[in-house]
Amino acid sequence: MTQILFPETLDQAVALLARHDEARPIAGGTTLVAMRNAGLVDSSHLVSLDRIPGLRGIERLADGRIRVGAMTRHADTAASDLFTGSLAVVRKAAGMIANKVVRNMGTMGGSVANADPAADYLPALACADAVLSVLGPDGAREIPILTYVQDWYETALEPGEILTAITFPAPEDAPSAYRKIARVSGDYATASCAMALTPDGQGLRVAIGACGPGPIRDVQAEAVLHGHLQDPQAVAEFAAALVAKADPVDDVRGSADYRLALIPRLIASVLSDLISAKEAA
Amino acid sequence: MAKKALFTLSLNGDQTDVAAAPDATLLETLRDGLGVLSPKRGCNQGVCGACTVLIDGVPVRSCLTLTARCEGHEISTMEGMNTDPVMEVLQRHMVASGGVQCGFCTSGMLMSARNLLAETPRPDREAVKSALSGNLCRCTGYRTIVDAICTAAEELAQ
Amino acid sequence: MKIAGTFEVDAPQDRVWDKVRDPELMVQCIPGCESIEQIDPMAYRAKVSVKVGPISARFNLVVTVLSEEAPHTVISRTSGEEGTRASVVASDNVLRLEPTATGGTRVSYEADVSMTGRLGKFGLGIFRKKADQLAEVFVGTFRDKLEVAA
Repeated sequence: MTQILFPETLDQAVALLARHDEARPIAGGTTLVAMRNAGLVDSSHLVSLDRIPGLRGIERLADGRIRVGAMTRHADTAASDLFTGSLAVVRKAAGMIANKVVRNMGTMGGSVANADPAADYLPALACADAVLSVLGPDGAREIPILTYVQDWYETALEPGEILTAITFPAPEDAPSAYRKIARVSGDYATASCAMALTPDGQGLRVAIGACGPGPIRDVQAEAVLHGHLQDPQAVAEFAAALVAKADPVDDVRGSADYRLALIPRLIASVLSDLISAKEAA
Repeated sequence: MAKKALFTLSLNGDQTDVAAAPDATLLETLRDGLGVLSPKRGCNQGVCGACTVLIDGVPVRSCLTLTARCEGHEISTMEGMNTDPVMEVLQRHMVASGGVQCGFCTSGMLMSARNLLAETPRPDREAVKSALSGNLCRCTGYRTIVDAICTAAEELAQ
Repeated sequence: MKIAGTFEVDAPQDRVWDKVRDPELMVQCIPGCESIEQIDPMAYRAKVSVKVGPISARFNLVVTVLSEEAPHTVISRTSGEEGTRASVVASDNVLRLEPTATGGTRVSYEADVSMTGRLGKFGLGIFRKKADQLAEVFVGTFRDKLEVAA
């Protein structure tokens, strides 16, 4: 049996997590409660972040960056008009998570902290160069998204640390998109692709989801591709670089080989859509 | 025996005290503690939608909601919708179109449909399907359910 | 779920053969292994914990040697459960040793693992990745122990 605790400040929450060895934070509960229902996880205490003020909502900071409180629900992210241009990918990914009712419950912080390899936010955040703010017993720190996922379901979050916010660079005037291949609407991704063009239209940023422990992004290969987006050979070589970094599982959503075959197709297809969007703009 | 906690919930407009395990889900508390049986326990994983209820007017999965976090919020289930004029029309069309087969998914379907019509009074067929994409009907009677919601919306718009 | 691999150890085959049947060495090499005791000449009891993300499991295992041909082949069966929790694991294992041209030993292993109960629901895809990682850790430690002590 688990005790549910409702701290009213972040400091109280950090103290509660430190006090109880087996305590876990709980945000929207869409994954954690489902895993509890399936008997997969158990803990002595759940520290609910529900009643801590300041963790919900999306704001534009003075320097143009967009800050999302960890307890912001997918539905609010999906409906936000602050995710424009290069950040539209975040809004689009939010709108494809599970179904409408689950999007009323699940939060960005909960999803990112859980780090399910097939979930939708991580590739979008990796494409958008998000920075994660965390608070723990040793104080506050920031984790760049590209160093966040370390292994299957293992992240740079230390025990007792709470993810408090996700901050995105100011949106650029460039199209972005999120595409997910899934068995049915609302399922976890078999493979997914988050992509944004650079403002000059000559380059891209792309992260592949569900094909390894964390999102796959290769900043150096992106630099090499800059200026060659219209060259199918260069795009194919770029895609091959990401395939080489992939380490997909074989599971009910698709075989590892199928996922590897999806990566170049996703990249080519989303890129073609974004180039059309740029030309139309 | 596990020690129970006492929760004070606001359910369908009434304050209700109920004893339940401190970590009980809202679905468990509604069904086993309060005898509120319209939310159904289907998958218990948030996938099937049969347990959908409203919290502060927003549809959520009661199987994924901890009872403890519901204190201080307004919970609505089908039991509280008897006098809701929109729900009356939806129910009538569900029956008329044959949208109710075994009935297990029906209250979840109606909750999602009620929320759709509150947000979008004249939804097209695609919008209805999208709104119901988180509700599974194992009798696979989707077409008649979508028909019912579309014709209910038409009637309500007149 | 089939797990298989091959690695080489810079130690002679007879010595490797002795060590793969040495519970005291194995408990140090198997990641998450808390204890191994020999319960009869052909059977061992082990406690092993595994953690995959938020999920932790602790198994009580019995490894029974079905047949062995010294100093090159061991066929065994592992079965176990998770205490009061509802997961059951079983695996059929084959271990083969052969000499290398340079005086070392090539070790090949194959295991056909099945898992039912709560952990079966989580999906085997990620468990396979985890198993591959654990095997790598095992090989590293095993090789160090044998080569250092040689």
